[in-house]
Amino acid sequence: MMIGREIEDIDIRMPIDAYDIGKDTPTFNAYLTAVVRNSDGRVIRVHRQRSHSPTANFIGLMLPLSYFNTANNSFTLTTTGGSTYTFKPGIGTSARCISYPNTANNYYSYLVMIQVGSGTRSNPFNAYSLAAPIANGSGTGQLIYGSVSVPSNITVSGNEAYFTISQAFNNSSGATVTITEVGIIIYLQTASSAAGNTNIGQLLVWYDVLSSAISVPNGGSVVIYYTFMVNP
Amino acid sequence: MVTPDLVSEEDIAKLIIPDDLPDEQPTFKAYIEAKVYDKEGHLIQYHRQPMRSLTQYFLALMAIPILATYQSASINSAPSLLVNVLGLPSNAGCCYSANISWDWSIQLGSGTQAFSLSLSSLAAPISNGTGAGELVYGTLSVSYSGSTILVSVQVSNTTSTTVSVTEIGLAGTIYIQYNNGSINKYNFLFSYDTFSTAVSVPGYGMAVFQITLSFTG
Repeated sequence: MMIGREIEDIDIRMPIDAYDIGKDTPTFNAYLTAVVRNSDGRVIRVHRQRSHSPTANFIGLMLPLSYFNTANNSFTLTTTGGSTYTFKPGIGTSARCISYPNTANNYYSYLVMIQVGSGTRSNPFNAYSLAAPIANGSGTGQLIYGSVSVPSNITVSGNEAYFTISQAFNNSSGATVTITEVGIIIYLQTASSAAGNTNIGQLLVWYDVLSSAISVPNGGSVVIYYTFMVNP
Repeated sequence: MVTPDLVSEEDIAKLIIPDDLPDEQPTFKAYIEAKVYDKEGHLIQYHRQPMRSLTQYFLALMAIPILATYQSASINSAPSLLVNVLGLPSNAGCCYSANISWDWSIQLGSGTQAFSLSLSSLAAPISNGTGAGELVYGTLSVSYSGSTILVSVQVSNTTSTTVSVTEIGLAGTIYIQYNNGSINKYNFLFSYDTFSTAVSVPGYGMAVFQITLSFTG
């Protein structure tokens, strides 16, 4: 083995600009914006914050095949209901990877919704569901969920590129509804030509606690925007 | 009924990409590190710098765990964003079953070029081999700790001549596998950076290059 002693061998100083001084321009940012309207449709509040929190599910889905293959690793995905699934994609007829559209009308993996809630999770990375999801409906404490909107392309501006997903929520509950947490939920199935297909279920892939609560008045609405951007 | 949006699209664009947020912790940081060893295994150079340049393909790859692979629960087509940016098929029209996966690699080069969001390769990739100006690439190592993903590769210089590395990229291949056994491959460059100072791998020496992708800053 060629590697010998480590850095203490030689006086090597790290370049001054290599230290993490917390001022580096990030190469990726995510933003969370909420536009609240009253019953007349007038904007009464705009909430903006950085979005910080991919969940463990997101990291597991992002990992490349080398992670799984080199050391025979797997990753445990956790559904919003708390069920677990051992995810281990690969190359080959028995590999169970994320399903992709095909001639059969099944095996769908899709973006379910931006979900809002009235609780908080102290550890967003480990979150697999919102602490207190706000139900879709017009009952007390509920909001009517619109459809999630997804762009057909990335928007490019110079060296910046981004895409935004959004969803509207209407309050017909009869009272103000307060939102304190937001998350992105997908439905995942794996497909394997030899091993069959598996419904994994709903997965929370992104989660944020709002830096300040959002109050949606009765008869009003809120639109939540998630923006993901490289080279901001 | 959900109230229609009364703010103009132009106004929304300004809102969703705010430039006046407090100087709080960013969502993501990335670093590139290089450790160089001489032929006796002594560490002779250590280099670390921020990674600055992700391509649009990285953003689109990130979109897969966020948007998933179907437009909705009832539309049997891939999201248009994946089709338009990555060039993936909207539907595996040949087959009744298909799936998607991807792998990464670290590419090193000896050139430089201006960054663009649609870069597809390094300016002068250093080939995998034992010839002049080449490096022997080891197996890619990938690990994660919390929301930080670490990707590294060891390269060896089997020649007597120093190989100078001036550029680095995180590359990758997206695979779509079909139940008929065929596999379509789509190659991308996910990031591109030039080193602030060249990393020199001496003759018979080796180096370890690591890319750290850290979400939540």
